[in-house]
Amino acid sequence: MINDSHRKTITFISRTPPYGSDRAQLCLDTALAAAVFDQEINYVFHSDGVLQLLNKQNADAIDCKTLGNIAETLQLYGIKNAFVDQGSLQQRDIQEGDLATGVQSIDVEGLTEIIDKSHTVFNL
Amino acid sequence: MKFSIVLYAAPYSSEAAATALKFAKAVLGQGHTIYRLFFFNDGVHAANRFATVAHNEISLQQQWDSFIAQHEIDSVVCVTSAFKRGVLDEQEAKRQQFGVASMYGSSEIAGLGQLIDAAVNSDRVVNFG
Amino acid sequence: MTSLHTISKAPSSRLFESCLPALKQGDGVLFIEDGVYYCLTDASLAVSNPGLEVFSLQEDLVARGLKDRKIDQADVIDYNGFVELCCRYDKVISWF
Repeated sequence: MINDSHRKTITFISRTPPYGSDRAQLCLDTALAAAVFDQEINYVFHSDGVLQLLNKQNADAIDCKTLGNIAETLQLYGIKNAFVDQGSLQQRDIQEGDLATGVQSIDVEGLTEIIDKSHTVFNL
Repeated sequence: MKFSIVLYAAPYSSEAAATALKFAKAVLGQGHTIYRLFFFNDGVHAANRFATVAHNEISLQQQWDSFIAQHEIDSVVCVTSAFKRGVLDEQEAKRQQFGVASMYGSSEIAGLGQLIDAAVNSDRVVNFG
Repeated sequence: MTSLHTISKAPSSRLFESCLPALKQGDGVLFIEDGVYYCLTDASLAVSNPGLEVFSLQEDLVARGLKDRKIDQADVIDYNGFVELCCRYDKVISWF
């Protein structure tokens, strides 16, 4: 068992689109495993990772598990600190209204602060 | 310092498996310890003992195996990544009636919890992919 | 806490550009594998603010014929230097 003195802040940065590779799923699975360990967890959608949050996905069409409810899944596992990088949204001309809810938008300062406070960063 | 090293990429497809090995050797060479190696995603191919190369060459897989065995490093191959890529330990090979394991015995099969445990208990986690 | 950011893919990946906004004063950037090709670009100028350090892995530079072409702003280090950097910075963030 892990005691409290070992409690660390682990940040996951998910940077890939949802289905073209399994990295988005990999990042999510790792974060969910970390949630079970009762660590302080941040989950950041960055670069092409913001595309995971687009509404109206239906991956049945390509025989994949739809990732669109990823924000809900994170919350279900107690990961409350889910963020989306504003700069990445702007670069892709995506409005926050196009996205799944339950994710806070952060600017550059917000991102550097999250990274600053992390003990470990998984950058996928 | 206690390091953990995570490999995400298959040998030969990218340089990462070779880089990670050189890095791991330098970690020990400088008197640090390796808390755990974690082979994840395509990185599990590094533990495939069925990889063969020309006579006068040593495969990256063999190099990883000797390094792990020689230094008795705690080495984990991610179960969900490994089985679907045909990297099977003895138990799973038996269960599937393949008779013989395709994974080196120097590593063991385990879940993602071992990666998080490594993140919690190491001073540094270094990822290669 | 400071971070060492490793960049391991060629400039066409635009990994370094993705990493840039996440950099803060006191951080370091280390180019490895195909990331060393960033040394042919003006990438290091982008981080030449005071307090940011740029490194490049010697073995990967030599392999690619870049040893003598490396830009002045990047310090060349070997694998032992890589390990030392990991200890000097509080964590390592890999961009791949």
